[in-house]
Amino acid sequence: MRQPTAGEALAAVLSAEYAAIYAYGRIGVRLTGAARESAHQAEAAHRRRRDALVVQLSTTGGTVPPGRAGYALPFPVTDRASALRLAVEVEERTAAHWRAALASTTGPDRDQALAALVEYAVRATRWRKTAGVTPPTVAFPGRPS
Amino acid sequence: MVFTCPVGIGRTTPRDQVSGHNRRKLLRTGALLALGGAAAPLTGCDLFDRDVEPAPPPDPLRPMLDEALGLAAAYRTNATAHPELAERLGPIAETHTAHATELARVIGVALPSAPAADPSATAATEPAGALAALRAREKTAQRSATAACAAAPAERAALLGSIAAARATHQEALK
Repeated sequence: MRQPTAGEALAAVLSAEYAAIYAYGRIGVRLTGAARESAHQAEAAHRRRRDALVVQLSTTGGTVPPGRAGYALPFPVTDRASALRLAVEVEERTAAHWRAALASTTGPDRDQALAALVEYAVRATRWRKTAGVTPPTVAFPGRPS
Repeated sequence: MVFTCPVGIGRTTPRDQVSGHNRRKLLRTGALLALGGAAAPLTGCDLFDRDVEPAPPPDPLRPMLDEALGLAAAYRTNATAHPELAERLGPIAETHTAHATELARVIGVALPSAPAADPSATAATEPAGALAALRAREKTAQRSATAACAAAPAERAALLGSIAAARATHQEALK
């Protein structure tokens, strides 16, 4: 299989970031207190990366995929437990896209991809701790299972 | 030690006769090198054997493999010393072993059965001290994985990225 170009890999990451932002809108309303605040911070982090990617892809002549009005969630979010489960899922899935971008990038672009992978993996671990999931870590964050 | 230039023994063209002095010099140098190499034993016939390949340089990921084995050993040591932490430390030890297994596969070596000697794998006396010491080790290890990922060829970058991320999540899990 051909290695995607950096532009293709980052376009795929951007699509994942759109979906993450949508999902956090559904997650936040099912949480309260500190967990809700954490969801807002997480959503803001995904928005910052989305904005940076749009600028980066535009200025390098890459294709900027459009966001969609809605995304199919992997399971219904009806309560705190399912909201926390989706938050873990969102972080792992976006981490997986950044991880895939590592192979297509070098230099500062790879550093940026690794920083995102690490940040999202750590956040997935925090969500597992909040949800009481043990162990709160996985062996290979972002690796497709 | 490898001779890559032809020695040309047996050739008797005029050109060789002219360069005879240089050839003697080369052979004498070879003798000196052979003597000097007594500490590192030479296998008799490789001196003039042009088919012998030089030993491949060690894989740049070898230190990462040793580091992962050292971390696994440190977690096991601390889990034994502090049974109340075993449930938290056990899965992380398994993760480091899984990293070592994957690194050995990528490098193309067998996974060393015994962990590398690790003098720092002594358990702290207090559980809190043990957790703090392991967090510090994970932080250092995350830095080495980050550097390895930045320098890696494309086909190794994703694995090293996951290892760097896992080491970051361990620091979070130990809080």
